[in-house]
Amino acid sequence: MSGIPMNRRRFLQLSALANAGLMVWGSHPLLAQGSSALPPPPPPGPIDLKAAGGMDSLIAAARKEGELSTTALPDDWANYKGIKRVFFKEKYPFLKHNDLTPDASSAEEIEQIKANAGNKGPQNPDVIDVGFVWGARAKAENLLQPYKVATWDTIPTAIKDPDGFWYGDYYGTMSFEVNADAVPFVPQDWQDLLDPRLKGMIAINDPTASSQSTHLVWASSLGNGGTLAQPEKGLAFFKELAKKGNLVATSYSPASLVSGELPISLRWDYNALANRDNNMGKAKIQVVYPKSGTLAGVYLQAISAYAPRPHAARLWMEFLYSDEGQLLWLEGYAKPVRFNDMLKRGVIPKALLDRLPAADVKVEFPTLEQVQTGLQYIRDNWVKEVGITYKS
Amino acid sequence: MGGESTGKVGKLGIPTRFWAWLWLGIAAVYLFLPLVAMVWASIRSPTGIRLDAYGEVLRAPRFLETFGFSTQAAIITILISAALVVPTAYWVDLKLPRLRPLVEFLTVVPLVIPPLLMTFGLIRLFNNTPLTNSNQGLYIMMLGAYVIISFPFMYRAVDAGMQAVNLRVLTEAAQSLGASWITVLTQVVVPNLLVAILNGSFVTFAMILGEFTISSLLNQPAFSPYMLDLSSRRGDQATALGVISIALTWGSISLLQLVGRKQTFKG
Amino acid sequence: MALATPSQSVPPRRNFSWLHSPSWDWLGLVPFLTFIAVFLLFPGLVIVQRSLFDSEGRLTWQYWQSLSQAAITLAYTNSLQVSVITAVSGGLIGSMLTWAITLGGLPAGIRSAVLSFAGVAANFSGIPLVFAFVALLGRIGLLNQWLRPLGVALDPQVFLYGFWGLCIVYTYFQIPLTVLVLVPAFQGLRREWREAAENLGATSTQFWLYVGLPVLMPSLLGAFALLFVNALSTYATAVALLGGVGQVFAVTVVVANQFRTDTFGDPGLGYALAASMILVIGATIAVYMVSRRWAEQWRR
Repeated sequence: MSGIPMNRRRFLQLSALANAGLMVWGSHPLLAQGSSALPPPPPPGPIDLKAAGGMDSLIAAARKEGELSTTALPDDWANYKGIKRVFFKEKYPFLKHNDLTPDASSAEEIEQIKANAGNKGPQNPDVIDVGFVWGARAKAENLLQPYKVATWDTIPTAIKDPDGFWYGDYYGTMSFEVNADAVPFVPQDWQDLLDPRLKGMIAINDPTASSQSTHLVWASSLGNGGTLAQPEKGLAFFKELAKKGNLVATSYSPASLVSGELPISLRWDYNALANRDNNMGKAKIQVVYPKSGTLAGVYLQAISAYAPRPHAARLWMEFLYSDEGQLLWLEGYAKPVRFNDMLKRGVIPKALLDRLPAADVKVEFPTLEQVQTGLQYIRDNWVKEVGITYKS
Repeated sequence: MGGESTGKVGKLGIPTRFWAWLWLGIAAVYLFLPLVAMVWASIRSPTGIRLDAYGEVLRAPRFLETFGFSTQAAIITILISAALVVPTAYWVDLKLPRLRPLVEFLTVVPLVIPPLLMTFGLIRLFNNTPLTNSNQGLYIMMLGAYVIISFPFMYRAVDAGMQAVNLRVLTEAAQSLGASWITVLTQVVVPNLLVAILNGSFVTFAMILGEFTISSLLNQPAFSPYMLDLSSRRGDQATALGVISIALTWGSISLLQLVGRKQTFKG
Repeated sequence: MALATPSQSVPPRRNFSWLHSPSWDWLGLVPFLTFIAVFLLFPGLVIVQRSLFDSEGRLTWQYWQSLSQAAITLAYTNSLQVSVITAVSGGLIGSMLTWAITLGGLPAGIRSAVLSFAGVAANFSGIPLVFAFVALLGRIGLLNQWLRPLGVALDPQVFLYGFWGLCIVYTYFQIPLTVLVLVPAFQGLRREWREAAENLGATSTQFWLYVGLPVLMPSLLGAFALLFVNALSTYATAVALLGGVGQVFAVTVVVANQFRTDTFGDPGLGYALAASMILVIGATIAVYMVSRRWAEQWRR
């Protein structure tokens, strides 16, 4: 094919050259940077409001920074729409909002921090909202900087990092999301999902990619005669679901749920409830807490170690952990972490309290270690156990 | 031009035109039925036909903004891409046929590198330079990435066009008449390749309008990230959105084609 | 645009001068190559480099070796099968459509209408395309509504959410892509050649066999190669249609999952996979070049 006379000797010469080139190139500083070779972060900002000189200094410093980049905050997730509106339009209009990649996953948020380390542009996220397991991991990789909000002491110890690197923001409870008009009956418990009348009706997102989905598979162990310490029961349950054909090999789609094509899914209750409200009048969506029990999932807030706008980031945190911010999450049906404290002090409007669905089922609150083990197990074994069952 | 068969009758005694209509029909069914289904799904509801979804989508605030942004980006991309691909394909065909495999490989690699990795790679490469420290810089990076991913289609279309037109002979003829390289490029090459370039542009245009990863990672207000966000929030609007974006894309491409047709007649 | 050209193409000159002496011809490629170097080569190099060197910078084959695990070989087998099948199906229907609109004797406006629609349809992929097919083939889709009075039901879990569903959906954009790429080639089949062949007493079949197909073959092969690579590298559509199960049928999904997962992905594997895909298209181009060379011999 080529016009160059190619013989064994020439081939060996060329491959020797290629190997040498590979070695040299591999050790080149620019290219040799492994995924851990990030530039040193700038010195961290003030550790709390006092160190920042009080709220007014913080606001002044944030004003100088002029913008804030958030990532992975969909409008319909826990009422982030309301939060963004109040923070950026009402309270601090001098801050420009860079609403990066609303559909990113926690892993993508971490990757964004790494990829943009050292950049000062708007695509470098300042603050992140990630799943429970990601806080410790990001801290270990030196991707976060600590900050303790004014209301720090009222955040439950179990869901915050003692040094202030990450802190729980809200939690939700796993529930069934059902388009009541498109199903022969509304399932009330885990075992109901196996009913043959529900063939071809259930769809969830990839449990190895979305932590919300990993949680729901894990939660199903509670409905399959097991505890959270037995994630294999959850996998067995979903294997059965797939074999029966009730679980369809596609991802959750809001359009399909509303149209009735795939009328059953499982999501955090705040997501399901928001979807129910959004589609009032177009579809009758019911949110059901499975009778045998379910679990709660926590998300975390943190400030990037490389945040180009650390003071605006702190202002954001102060807002989110103020009563006002926490109530906005509650409006989105997500239980804010300071809920009990606020309830005790009577600052939650009765109307808001009444709107919350009553989950009269047993709700498990797994610890960080339990979450790490449980999710890892499911992620490692999903494709083996259930993934192959899908192959038609 | 374009070879019209003269009412010939094939071996089986069936006119060629019949086969042409048949294949057109088969392809039309395959390509249109899903669209019909999509439109049907977007207007059906328990209470009968519902057109509200369309109104809601079109009235949504950032709809026109993002569509305009992506259209503009697409046009710029097409111009840059054509400017790069046409001379390259021409030179390779004419002067450096040895390099053809390499160039073909290079123009197809973009298809295989996941946009996610490409964007992260770009961000790291230009770390802490004006390109990543400002919105304008990011916009340029986005255009660069877009041009790269348009290469497979542009190159393939232009290359096929070159095969058909036999530019070597045309070039030699032009040069023997005393034309300079520039003249050859602009007066001989481009006009003959215009159809091919346009075909490549159509795909590029639609691709950029539908492109999501790059623009979203680079924080650019493009059409597709906006659509995706909207469709995941409002399930009922999702299909209407799909229909509208197809209609808009098709409309824009038809416009492009009209412009192209005018140019062709000039040359 | 109708310039007279001879009917035979001049074979490229073979010479080795470019190896031995500098030539100004290279200048013509400089803008293109610079662009490629800046915007493509670096991410490409990063991919290859990170597939070979671990996070401490040591050369390692572990990532490439992990490509042999069952899940990966399954994904690769499925991906390659889907790519070949849809390159053929899309290529076949697309070629016939191209023929129909260029040489089929259809009314003039049809060609431009098809071309502009093709530009749209070729890029109709990902979520909207899946919406459309779900609306058509889904449990409560259009076809099932039509079939209900007949008591038959199309099971979407067979025709939509699986291997064949993927093929059906991919073919949708492969057809117009073929058209866009092949129209110039078909238009190049001069009417004069057809008439000359007729005058010499050739039948339609003979014309195609000895003139038409050989002239078209390089473009057909090129189109096939492009279709194959296009299907292999599709990501959004596979994910939109199959969700998590996409990783069983499409290598691209496995790659993306290593970087996107909410739990823990393996970036080394992701880079190795991406690098292997680059190799696969290198091989595809090589095969295409060889077959083109063979095809060109037919043109003599």
